Amino acid sequence: MRTLALIAAAFAAVLTAGTAGATTAKHSGTTLVGAGSTFVFPLVSQWIPAVGAAYGDELQYSPIGSGGGINAVTGRTVDFGASDAPLSPDQFAACKGCAQIPWALSATSVIYNVNGVKNLLHMDGPTLAKIFSGQITSWDDASIKKLNPGVSLPSEKIAIVHRSDNSGTTYNFTDYLSSASPAWKSATGTGVAVNWPVGTGAKGSSGVAAAVSQTSGGIGYVDVAYAKANHLKFFAMKNRSGKFTTPGLRGILAAATSDQKPDANNALSIVNPPKKYDLAYPISTYTYVIVPLQSSKAPELKKFLFWAVTKGQTFGPKLLFQPIPKNVLVVAEKTIAKIHT
Amino acid sequence: MSSTEIAPDSTRRPFTGRRVRFGDVSLQAVAGTAAAAATFLVFLIAYKVVRGAQPAIGKYGLAFVTRVAWDPVKNVYGAGSFLFGTALTSLLALAIAAPLAIGIALFLTELAPRRLRAPVTALIETLAAIPSVVIGLWGILVLGPILRDHVEPALHSALGFIPLFGSPSSTGSSIFTAIVVLTIMILPIVASISRELFLGVPRDLKEGALALGTTRWEMVRGVMFPYARGGIAAALILGLGRAVGEAIAVTQVIGGGLGIQLNLFATGDTLASKIASSYQGAQSNIQIASLVYLGLILLVFSLIMNVSAQVIVRRVARRQGVGLNRGGLG
Repeated sequence: MRTLALIAAAFAAVLTAGTAGATTAKHSGTTLVGAGSTFVFPLVSQWIPAVGAAYGDELQYSPIGSGGGINAVTGRTVDFGASDAPLSPDQFAACKGCAQIPWALSATSVIYNVNGVKNLLHMDGPTLAKIFSGQITSWDDASIKKLNPGVSLPSEKIAIVHRSDNSGTTYNFTDYLSSASPAWKSATGTGVAVNWPVGTGAKGSSGVAAAVSQTSGGIGYVDVAYAKANHLKFFAMKNRSGKFTTPGLRGILAAATSDQKPDANNALSIVNPPKKYDLAYPISTYTYVIVPLQSSKAPELKKFLFWAVTKGQTFGPKLLFQPIPKNVLVVAEKTIAKIHT
Repeated sequence: MSSTEIAPDSTRRPFTGRRVRFGDVSLQAVAGTAAAAATFLVFLIAYKVVRGAQPAIGKYGLAFVTRVAWDPVKNVYGAGSFLFGTALTSLLALAIAAPLAIGIALFLTELAPRRLRAPVTALIETLAAIPSVVIGLWGILVLGPILRDHVEPALHSALGFIPLFGSPSSTGSSIFTAIVVLTIMILPIVASISRELFLGVPRDLKEGALALGTTRWEMVRGVMFPYARGGIAAALILGLGRAVGEAIAVTQVIGGGLGIQLNLFATGDTLASKIASSYQGAQSNIQIASLVYLGLILLVFSLIMNVSAQVIVRRVARRQGVGLNRGGLG
């Protein structure tokens, strides 16, 4: 009898809590559902409460990976998808009437784990390409030494770790290697997954980070927010002007100013920018939101996207996302305006 | 609830002709529908897989099956490397798991002190319930580094003249790590089925053997093994099926390499792990079709294995005259 009373009391408590919650939340708005990139997730999760406060619309986002986001928006099971790599022609065709809009800007960091070596070791593109194609196999190789005078590098084997799943980070990284090394471009090329000449594959940024941090002599690549959050050591990369730059906001912004004109599909490539952008971090990248141009939630979707590329950008810097530059913003807004019911 | 309602009812009116016929008919209908649905589902899956793979089948033909290539940038695909990886990992995992599992089953039925049997059995069955993604994580974080730092160098220095034990892996992700992970995953399945089979050996047979003066080992070899042989073969095939189809845990620890090489400490990939790692976000239609083609090969591979398993079990059972009927599997 007593237990029954207890259960009843608990039940009543749950009921009142439920009704109380419903009255305070007062969601008059629509629910917008998105999925995709894990890279952009820290930023989007800052947006969720802000969008709720500004418009009363509820935003939901599942960080299932860029590939999953593209599949989801292609199947129209979500209102928007997010991808770090621009869509391929086949993916565009499959998505039937989708547009991609650059909505965040950050960088890929090249991480390493070498005993007794400080953070921000120096590295350049051609050497990095040689390491990832297996031509340079030891940390005390002459070309790495030459970049780092005065640093004592151990005679340790380089253990290469790359992503085994399809990844926008891989796209950004191989895009850079292809730009910095013609040999890499012709032998391996650029893609969300490539035929790696050497190395060990790991699943997700977390897999790469785990493998590198457990392997003495390890080298890999993850997005810069992930590297910073997990206190991983990463390289200062030599850009075309000869400066060594870090994947910080200033370096990313300098790179972003280099590619002023998105292509017909709004894709932008800002890796390895020309010499005059002397502060540029050379492995920077845009990340995209993929939306169907025809959507039953068009008004809410437009409102949210306008907000994301303008006000939403102010949430970026402390997460190492550089606000997108004006000219890209103009293009983004033009595309957003095309969304209709 | 329902059993208490039915029980008095059935004792009061036992087996009138009409009720029996109704029961028979509904049993026939329910069981028949279930069987038909399962069969239909297999055909539906096969149809969808063949249709999905059609572009790749049309472009590459049967040469795809043995070609060693996977280049999403240049759009060149083949299954050779993954077929090799699947066969190598699953067969070696089975070879390691089989004696261990049978040993565990014997220990639990014949040798362990009575007080130990129930808890150890429960623990081994718990092992089977651990999600593969958790085993995979443990493989990356714990098992991989241990194998790389201790087991692989030891095997290499002792048995390095055998090509299987080449230079140790750099990161701890390797075919060898995948084999160990798969062994752990199929061990509880084979062990608990074998245990049930050994429990099913009639007591009088065992006691008869012991009464004739056999040692315990002779009794196990002469009575228990022959009695359970067909069932154990089926249990091993079940374990092999698990190993062949396992995707997630393998993806996490195998290191995603391409190529056919005998060194177990190198990276590799299996059919299932390649599909798991590459399907999401595949960039071109031909790559998607090629991945589905890998799925088709996996389907045919499992079919061949199931059929051969049934042939083996039947042959063993016929030779023994027992085992199949009482072993519970066939």
